[in-house]
Amino acid sequence: MIGASELQRAAVRAHAAMANLEQELNAADAKLGDGDTGGMLARVVERLASVEVNDGDDLGKTFGTYARVAAATTGSSLGTLFATALLVFGNVTRGRTTLDASEFGPILGEACDAMLKRGQSQLGDKTVIDVIDAVSKAVLGKADWLALAAAAREQSSATLNLFRDLPCKIGRARMFGDKSRGLDDPGMLAFVRLVDAVSPAY
Amino acid sequence: MKKLVNRACDYVDEMLEGLVLAHPSLALDGEAKRVVRRAQGMRAGKVGIVSGGGSGHLPLFTGYVGRGLLDTCSIGNVFEGPNVASCMEAIKLASSGAGVLLLYGNYGGDRMNFDMASEMLKLDGIETRTVLGTDDIASAAPQDIQKRRGVAGIVYAYKVAGAAAEVGDDLAEVARVAQKAVDATRTIGIALAACQVPGADKPTFAIDDNEIEMGIGIHGEPGIWRDTLRPADAVAGEMIERLLAEKPTGSGNRVSILVNSLGATPLEELFILYRKVASLLKERGLEIVQPLVGPYVTSMEMAGASISVCFLDGELERLLAAPAECPFWRVG
Repeated sequence: MIGASELQRAAVRAHAAMANLEQELNAADAKLGDGDTGGMLARVVERLASVEVNDGDDLGKTFGTYARVAAATTGSSLGTLFATALLVFGNVTRGRTTLDASEFGPILGEACDAMLKRGQSQLGDKTVIDVIDAVSKAVLGKADWLALAAAAREQSSATLNLFRDLPCKIGRARMFGDKSRGLDDPGMLAFVRLVDAVSPAY
Repeated sequence: MKKLVNRACDYVDEMLEGLVLAHPSLALDGEAKRVVRRAQGMRAGKVGIVSGGGSGHLPLFTGYVGRGLLDTCSIGNVFEGPNVASCMEAIKLASSGAGVLLLYGNYGGDRMNFDMASEMLKLDGIETRTVLGTDDIASAAPQDIQKRRGVAGIVYAYKVAGAAAEVGDDLAEVARVAQKAVDATRTIGIALAACQVPGADKPTFAIDDNEIEMGIGIHGEPGIWRDTLRPADAVAGEMIERLLAEKPTGSGNRVSILVNSLGATPLEELFILYRKVASLLKERGLEIVQPLVGPYVTSMEMAGASISVCFLDGELERLLAAPAECPFWRVG
């Protein structure tokens, strides 16, 4: 089981990891975009890590606070999708102080549905939602967080590799057509790197 | 690239502070001071008109807050949509009981944030309608017109919707004429040189000194072709041909034209373009009404221009001619 203090620990780990990831993500984004994905995520994660959380806090409220902080820190598509997913977790865990590993996959799947609706996108468009969806399925049935984290790391990397040579079908990158083949989607790459960064927390 | 800034992270906030100091008709509002509103506030019972988007495009978006145009505007970081909180604040500030029109360009981040804000405020009883600017003909094929992005032509929708709201039309009517203006407007842009986001270590795209790109977007989105620079008349000719090829079915022979600088291109070059545009339209039997020439929607120091054509009917022409006043545009 994890509680609010584990969430905070994950946010702090992500914040520490962004010191090294920021430029890598900016560089990935600069190939077809504005080159600001790393900087934007660094701002968001810094704010999340600074949220005061106490052991035993309501998980729903904690996720909700994280969602509001993320949404207030950036207006980017990736940031808003992230906030949307956090809101789903907040709604599902409202009134509770712990979350079992076995519940994580189904809630993540629900978050994917909400993100697809919010972004008016589909699976296969080559966005961060593709990798999150793959992870949500890979972690189904994992009863402990260590096994879940290992499955998430493996699946997220595999999905990043799988999509690398496919074209982007939505957003600014879609306009580059075949030029987007061979390039990692910066949102996907960010998710993979952050999964690696926060996994040791469990 | 050299820029007159203090710290890159203060670029937007300091720009907004200066904007409202220079133009007392505008006021900064919202917790993070990322909403620009009319200083005098909303008139009770008037439909509110809200826009928003990333910074870096002045006079768009905040510069069009004023009588007969926008009521409030939420603003994001450079080339980054406004966050949900500022969208909510902008909508609330524009709400005086008659509903609020959300009128902004078709960009993923902007759409998500305004949609989320709108859903949250529905619980507070604020009715909203959304109309998206989709005038950039280079951003998607005609059969995918709903995927097109909003660029300079959105100022026609601002003007038309603002005029309708000012005379007391209801939300459905204001949204209808805004959508009509969007449907009647086509834009295409060309770029000669890139801009650079403050704090970034290189320009948003690379283009050689002797090159031109046809169809480029206002954030450097790729265009239709890139080749060696050619004379202004040839460039204007191709832009007009492409725009008229997408003339809406049933439109008449009166048009408004916007020849817009993307930032660094001077008025002199815009008038050289306009001269050819006017000649070509006359040859095609089209009469120009209320031409606009100048920097209306920019991308900081990007060099280049866009041309927008708004195909008019009597209603659009009347609303376009109605009095309006903001820091960067005055009619009547």
